[in-house]
Amino acid sequence: MPRELLSAYPVAGERYDEMFSAPATPRPHWARLYADLQRASGRLMRERVETVAREIRETGATFDVHADPGAVDRPWDADVIPLILAQDEWAEIEVAVTQRAQLLDRILADLYGAQHTLREGLLPLALIYGNAHFLRPCVGLETPGGVRLHHYAVDLARSPDGHWWVIADHAQSPLGVGYALENRLIISRVFPDLFRDLKVVHLATFFAALRDSLAHWAPSDGAAPFMVLLTGGLTTDGYFGQAYLARYLGLPLVEVNDLTVRDGMVWLKTVSGLRRVHVLLRRIADDGSDPLELRGDSATGIPGLVDAARRGSVLVVNALGSSLLESASLFGFLPALAERLLGEPLRMPSLATWWCGEPAAMEQALARIETLIVKPAFPQLQFEPVFGEDLDGPGRDALAAQVRARPNDYIAQERIQMSQAPVWEAHARGNRLSARAMGLRVFVCATPGGYVAMPGGLARVATGPDTRVLSTQRGGSSKDSWVLSSAPVSTFSLLRTSIGADDLVRTGLDLSSRVVENLFWYGRHVERCDATARLLRVALGRLTGRAAAAERGWPAIAELLADRGLLAADGAALDDILVVRALRAAVVDDARPGLARALHELSQIALRLRERMSTDNWRLMQTMQRNLSRRHAGALALSDAIEELDQSIAALMTLAGFALDGMTRDLGWRFMSCGRRIERLEWMCAILLSATAAGRSGEIEWALQLADSSVTYRSRYLAKPEWLPVLDLLIRDDSNPRSIAFQLRGLNDYVQRIGRTVGEFHDERIAAAVDALNRMDPTRDLDPQSPQLRALLVEWQGAAENLSELISQRFFSHVAEERRESVSA
Amino acid sequence: MRYAIVHETHYAYAAPVALSQQLLRLTPRALPWQRCLAHRIDIDPTPGERIERDDYFGNGVTQLQIAAPHQALAVVAHSEVEVSAPPTAAPAGTQPWEVVRDRVRVIGPNPSLDAAQFLYESPQVRCFAELAEFAAPSFTPGRDLREGAQDLMHHIHRSLEFDPTATNVSTELHEVLALRRGVCQDFAHLMIGCLRTIGIAARYVSGYILTTPPPGRPRLVGADASHAWVSVHCGKAGWLDLDPTNDCVVEDEHITLAWGRDFSDVTPMRGVTLGGGEQRLTVRVTVTPTENA
Repeated sequence: MPRELLSAYPVAGERYDEMFSAPATPRPHWARLYADLQRASGRLMRERVETVAREIRETGATFDVHADPGAVDRPWDADVIPLILAQDEWAEIEVAVTQRAQLLDRILADLYGAQHTLREGLLPLALIYGNAHFLRPCVGLETPGGVRLHHYAVDLARSPDGHWWVIADHAQSPLGVGYALENRLIISRVFPDLFRDLKVVHLATFFAALRDSLAHWAPSDGAAPFMVLLTGGLTTDGYFGQAYLARYLGLPLVEVNDLTVRDGMVWLKTVSGLRRVHVLLRRIADDGSDPLELRGDSATGIPGLVDAARRGSVLVVNALGSSLLESASLFGFLPALAERLLGEPLRMPSLATWWCGEPAAMEQALARIETLIVKPAFPQLQFEPVFGEDLDGPGRDALAAQVRARPNDYIAQERIQMSQAPVWEAHARGNRLSARAMGLRVFVCATPGGYVAMPGGLARVATGPDTRVLSTQRGGSSKDSWVLSSAPVSTFSLLRTSIGADDLVRTGLDLSSRVVENLFWYGRHVERCDATARLLRVALGRLTGRAAAAERGWPAIAELLADRGLLAADGAALDDILVVRALRAAVVDDARPGLARALHELSQIALRLRERMSTDNWRLMQTMQRNLSRRHAGALALSDAIEELDQSIAALMTLAGFALDGMTRDLGWRFMSCGRRIERLEWMCAILLSATAAGRSGEIEWALQLADSSVTYRSRYLAKPEWLPVLDLLIRDDSNPRSIAFQLRGLNDYVQRIGRTVGEFHDERIAAAVDALNRMDPTRDLDPQSPQLRALLVEWQGAAENLSELISQRFFSHVAEERRESVSA
Repeated sequence: MRYAIVHETHYAYAAPVALSQQLLRLTPRALPWQRCLAHRIDIDPTPGERIERDDYFGNGVTQLQIAAPHQALAVVAHSEVEVSAPPTAAPAGTQPWEVVRDRVRVIGPNPSLDAAQFLYESPQVRCFAELAEFAAPSFTPGRDLREGAQDLMHHIHRSLEFDPTATNVSTELHEVLALRRGVCQDFAHLMIGCLRTIGIAARYVSGYILTTPPPGRPRLVGADASHAWVSVHCGKAGWLDLDPTNDCVVEDEHITLAWGRDFSDVTPMRGVTLGGGEQRLTVRVTVTPTENA
C-alpha cells in the first residue's frame, strides 16, 4: 500500500527530492524501483535489509574510526535502497567531473612546473606558497605522460533547483572507492531482477580502465609492470576499502615497511629478495611518503621515494604533492583557471567560497557571515568549521576579528541545501520510506584517452533527518548508486571468486615478507585453535562420560590442559564442578587462554591478510567468533559447550579445507603449511609425551581422539586401542595426516622446496629427525616405556620450534628492522 | 677574503647500519660576491651511489646511498672560498617597511615569486601575535626597512642569551621566546618569525664564519659548527644579510652554504639509516683565512 510506504516520508519543502517530483509521484527513472517497493511484502523487505546487514557483517566491512580511541570497528553502513540516476543526468555529471579532473591535473602540472598561473596572478601566491601541502622537493618532477592526477574523487551535492555543485575535491587518493564496490556487490544482489531490467551500468569497465592505464604509464620498459597498493595499515581509515580494492584489482596490498628504495628504484621486500615495483597506488598521505625529503609530523614513509619518482623509475599514483588541490580555498579561482588552461568554461560550479586573503572577498564574506561556514584555508590549520548562524552578535564580532588578524588562514563558504534521498526505515513497523540529506561522491580515473568516471559512485547519507555535515566518521550511511542505460550493459567483473595466496604470478616470489610471515603464523594459529578445541572437547567429554577408562587418562589430560593454561596446575585434583566451570570459560571467554582467545588471535592475523582471503573464508571466521561471544553472554550448559566445540572443530576443518582446496601451491601456501605442520608436530609430541608418561598403565583412547584418529584406528583394527598399533598410527604411519611421520616428511620436503625457490635454506635437524624416524625399530621403540621413544619425542618437539626460529630469522627478520633519522648541523 | 673550510661530520653506530641514505647541503653557493675555488666531499665508507643536484632553492645537494653494512660514517667537506661583502652590506636607505610589505602582498599579475617564497609560515617558523609585539618597537610607522631590520637584530641580540645547552635542532619558536636563550639557529628563526609576522619576507641562510679571528678582532660566536643568519627582503634594494647572533651586517666574514625558509630546508646533513642502534655524532668546523684579498 503506497499510503503506508510513504506514511513517514517527509515533504521535500525547500530541498530537491531525488525520487519524487511531487508527493507520491516518482520521477520516471525511479518508477520501477518505486513499483517494486510498493509490491514488496514486509517479509521480503525484511529479508533484503537483513541480507545487507549480514553481508556487511560477514565480509567484515568496517570503517575504522581511529580518531576516536574508544570506538570499536564500526560496520560500514549501507542503505538497502539504491540512488538512481537517469542516463542524461549522469551524462552531465560525467562530463563535468572529468573536465574538473583534467583542470586539476593541469593546475598541478603548472604549480609543480613553470608556475604560469602564479606569474599571471590567476592564483594568489599565499594560497600556494603558504600551503604546507605544496611540496617544494616535488617541483620540476616529471611524470609519465605528464599525468599527476590518475585517480580522483569529487563530492557533489544537489541544490533545490536540481543543479549539482562540487563541494569537495579528493586529489590525494580517492577515499571510498572500495566501499562503492562493496555496496554495488551487495545491493545488486538484493534487487537482482531490477538491477538487470533497469540495465544498470556496471563498474568493472572503470576499474579495468584504471588498471590498464596505470600499466600503460608504468615505467617498466615494456615488461609486465609490477603494481602494488600501498596502505597506511590496519589502523588507518578505510583499510577495509583498500584491502577490498586491492583484491578486486588483483594487486598486492603492501605497507611502507614492505618497501625500500635502492639505487633510485622502489623494491618490495619478499622472502626471495627484493622485487622491483613499477606502480605504487598509494593510500598514504603526501607528507608521510618520504621521511628523507618530505618531512611530515610523523617519521613514516619510504626514504628516497621522491628521488625514485624524480628519476622516473616508479609511477606514484597520485603524484606526490597532489594533496595541494584538496583545499576549498581554490574554488573561487577555478572558473578563470578553466578558461586559461582548458580554454572552456567550468561546467559544474563549486560551492561559493570566499578566500579572506583577498581584501574584497573578506569584506563580502564578513558582511553575510551569518549565512556562511568559516573554515581553515590550509590543511595545516586544524580547527572545526564555524557556522555563522550558530553565533550571536558578539560571537560574530569575535570571529570577524580573528579573520581580520590572519585573513589568509580563512575561507568562508556558502551552505547548500542538499537534496534528499529515500532511505529504508529498517526498524519501523511495516514498509516505510523516509528521506535523508544526501551527497554523491564520484570517482574518476585518467586513461591515455582522457579522464573517465565510474558510473554512479558512492552516495553518502546523513544520519539524522537534517544534518549539516555528511561524514562517514560521524556515523553517516551510504548508498549504492545506479546509472541507468538504454543499451545492453557489459557484465564483465574483475572480482576473483577463488582464494589465491598470490593473485598475480604462480610462484609467489613477489609476496612481501610481511604477508608471508602472516601466512606462516596464520597456519600455526589455525592449528592451535584446532588443538585447543579438541583438547577441550576430550576433557569435557570425560566429565560427562564418567567411564572408568576416562578416569585413568585424566591426569595426563589435566597436564596437557595445564600446559596450555586452560586449567590450573593442580587441575587434576579439582572437583568436577570447578573443572567444568574452568573449561566452559576456556571455550567462550576471550579474556583468558582458551578457544575464544585463540580464535581472536587468529582473526587478528587474518585481518592482516584480508585482501588474500576469500569472502567465504572470512565469513566463516567471523561467524565462529560471533557465535562464541554470543554464548559467552548467556548461560552455557555443559552440552552447549560441547556443541559449540563440535561446531568450531567443523568450521576449523572447513578453513583447513579452503587452504587445501582453494589456494594455489605457491610460496605463501608453503610457508602457511610449514606453520601448520610445525604446530601439529609439536602438539603430537606433547600428546604422546603425556600419554606415555604413565607407562603401559596409561589410557590411550583420548590420544586417538585428540589426534582425530579414532575412526581410522577402529576401521583398521576393529579392536580396543592397544599401544603398539596406536603408536604406529600416530608416529610412523605417513598416510595418517595427523601422524608425526606425516609432519616430519612434509616439513623436510617444504624446507627443500623453499630452498630451491629462494636459494640457500637448510634444516639439518629436521632432516636428522626424518632419518631417526626411518630407523625406528617398531618392536623396541613403539612402547610407552621405551626411553628411546621419549628421547625421540623430546627431540622432535625441539626440532619443530627450532625450524620455526630458523624461518623467522631467515625470512622475517628484516620486516622489523629499525629505522632512524638523523640531522646534523 | 679567502678561506679554507673543513666541515667534518662523524657518526658512530652501536650496531651495523644496513642501509644509509643521506642528503648533504655542504657545498658553498655560487654568488656574485662569493666564489668557490675548490670543493670536495670525502665520504667513508665510499657510497654505492652518489648524486649531485640542485634543490628547489638552488642549493647544491649531494645525495648518498650506502648499502654495505657499516658502523661509522665520516663526511668531510673541504672548501676554498673567496668572499667579498654583498652589495647590500654598504649602508644605504631602502624604503619604508610598509611599502615593501604592501608590494609583496598585492594579488595580481607579475608578483614577486622570489620574495613570496619566504613570506609565509614554514615547518620551523610559525607566525604568531607575540612575534608581532616583539617586532613592533623596531618597526615604527614609516621607518626605513633596513633601519627597522637592524634595530630588530639589535633587539634580538640584547634579548637572547647564546646558550648551546638550552635548545636543540627542533626547538619551537614559542619555546625560544619563552626561554630567551638558544643558538644561532634560534636567533635566526626568531628574527625570521618576527619579520614574516609583520609581512616582510625573510630567508634562513646556512653557512660558516671565521673560527680564528684576525689579530685585534674578537672571535665570533657560533664558530665551532655551521652557522646561520637571516636574509631580509628589502624590496627593490634586494636581500640584506644580517647576523643576529653576532649583531652585525654580513660582510666578508660569512661564507654562504645554502638558503631556504628555515633550518629544515637547508639542514647540512639529513639522513635515514636502517639499523645502527644508538648513534654518536661529532661535528667539527674549521675556517681559516688563507690570504687577504
